[in-house]
Amino acid sequence: MFTVDGERVVDVKIRLGYVHRGGEKAFEARTYTQGLYLVERICGICAMAHQLCYVNNVEALMGVEIPRRADYIRTIIAELERIHSHLLWVGVAGHEIGWDTLFMYAWRDREVVLDLMELITGNRVLHASNTIGGVRRDLTSEMISRIRKGMKLLDERTNYYKAMVPKERTLMKRAVGVGILKPKDAVALCAVGPTLRASGIKRDVRRDDPYSAYDETPFDVITYDGCDVASRVLVRVDEILESIKILDYALEHLPSGPVAVRLPRGVPAGENVSVVEAPRGEDIHYLKSNGTDKPERYKVRAPTLANWPAVGAMIKGGFVADIPIVIAAIDPCMSCTDRMTFTDIRAAKSWQWSRDELRRYSLKWRGK
Amino acid sequence: MSENKKEQEIVEALKTKLGQSLLAARIQRPRRIFATVSPSALLDSVKFLMESHGLRHLATITAVDLGKDIAVYYHLIGGEITMNLRADTPKTEPKLPTIVPMIPGAELYEREVYEMFGVIFEGHPDLTHLILPDGWPENVYPMRKEWKTDAIKNEIAKALGEKLE
Amino acid sequence: MQMNLVKWSRIRSPWVFHFNAGGCNGCDIEILASLMPRYDIERFGMILRGSPRHADVMLVTGTVTRQIIPRLKRIYEQIPDPKFTLAIGNCACSGGVFQQCYNVHEGADKAIPVDVYIPGCPPRPQAIIDGAVKLLQKISKS
Repeated sequence: MFTVDGERVVDVKIRLGYVHRGGEKAFEARTYTQGLYLVERICGICAMAHQLCYVNNVEALMGVEIPRRADYIRTIIAELERIHSHLLWVGVAGHEIGWDTLFMYAWRDREVVLDLMELITGNRVLHASNTIGGVRRDLTSEMISRIRKGMKLLDERTNYYKAMVPKERTLMKRAVGVGILKPKDAVALCAVGPTLRASGIKRDVRRDDPYSAYDETPFDVITYDGCDVASRVLVRVDEILESIKILDYALEHLPSGPVAVRLPRGVPAGENVSVVEAPRGEDIHYLKSNGTDKPERYKVRAPTLANWPAVGAMIKGGFVADIPIVIAAIDPCMSCTDRMTFTDIRAAKSWQWSRDELRRYSLKWRGK
Repeated sequence: MSENKKEQEIVEALKTKLGQSLLAARIQRPRRIFATVSPSALLDSVKFLMESHGLRHLATITAVDLGKDIAVYYHLIGGEITMNLRADTPKTEPKLPTIVPMIPGAELYEREVYEMFGVIFEGHPDLTHLILPDGWPENVYPMRKEWKTDAIKNEIAKALGEKLE
Repeated sequence: MQMNLVKWSRIRSPWVFHFNAGGCNGCDIEILASLMPRYDIERFGMILRGSPRHADVMLVTGTVTRQIIPRLKRIYEQIPDPKFTLAIGNCACSGGVFQQCYNVHEGADKAIPVDVYIPGCPPRPQAIIDGAVKLLQKISKS
């Protein structure tokens, strides 16, 4: 909900909720196995990250150590998901600024990843690749060779985007200096993920609090200092390249052995907190078990929620026309911001715009 | 091999700082500390953990219905450590002081705990619904154990003057 | 003659409006993937429009949360007659994994009439296109 004075945004109030389904209560009525499928559907784009956070939680509480090969396969699938998510985002960002060719290119490249996901897990989207105690399916040597081929192609394509983006004047005009989030605000507002790293803060759960195979796979935590939308683009593009590096290493050093362990009976009573770096940022889950086959409490805080206060800070003082790209730059779950309310204090009127209406206004205003 | 050295330091420092107000503390596994403090010591604890141990990132706030009380967990992260700081408040009058002045990023998390569990965060700049829809019935806190799904649906229908299909 | 021309153009080129009624985005991204050159639902004439007023067909995804029902109904009313609805994904068909959640109405047909159900979680682009073609067949028969 925006309070505006002509073209400028004066105040922002955050009100979410169209996608509230009551999932957390549902966990309490599902067994841990059923929870595997519920947790994925919190967000179809970061599904693997949510499921990974969940199995890490349950496994930690059970005191289960999964086979090293499973850790590596989880890492591989998680990084493939990061690549698909970032490419999806590059396309959507292109669409936001009226650059539909980029949308098409990025989503075409993304199909490479989706084909690999389908090969490895059986599904393009929503893979359920994890099980409590490991992963459901092993990687064959054919899969490995196909992944390598795919990564080579994506490396080439992503380097092309990387070279092209700073040269694109349309994009840079709409992205440089827009949506500023100062480092101290990013920290005080508890932002996460690429949004945080684009303000120069070097935090990434994979490095700070490693899980799966990230304690062994070398990679750089990407930061940029621009604190603007352009930096958020560059962080994600570079992260795709880092993911490819992690994938190459993981495939090269994939340990042999089983991919899952047999579980002891039941989850003991207790509590645990699990944190992973989803494509959009830090994802944290809390689990409390009462010793039965259903959790006593399961709390999920997906990364997008952590970035809304930061969005408020980015938009306040900026132009109405920049709202769509600033919101898009945190890579929000798409359905979250479908309807926005505006109140113009100068003209003394209120109205509502859909995301599409705002985008069209924005493109017109920015002289596309 | 220094097992959990940093974690132990933090626990010891909290003991020294809070004395009797530190009701429980355990290093649950590497990089995970759980500590329970009395509500009156909440603000001091958060301030101390932020300033003396760099635990500045509030990942989220989780509430759990314990029956008589509601446990509120503040998940503070700094470097590799996740500190899960808990304060319990009675369900008959659930309230805690807001930490928004110290950590502006807490604003939405406190709103979520308020609407789902009914905990009042005193001093919060805007304690309104975050996720629950407009027209949500008063005093229906969906995440409390006593509110079963069917009962919640009935209340919603009543509040909106609708028939339940 | 007039009627047949209109019918023909509607079959040839239905304009589509996409509405997420509380989904996880899994179906939404597969719908968008159907529009991309690889699957290219546009060769059937289906074009995504930004406004319900220019649409013939509405695609609904998601479980239909309590909050979204009035909007879903309003949007449905804005689509000019004759109009058709596709419920895409298990959630839009029947609530999916979110059945029996307190804020969920299980399926789009609890709020608006649905012509074609495309199950899946999410349905693949081929399944979406298959459902769309079935709708076109339904229209041509009516």
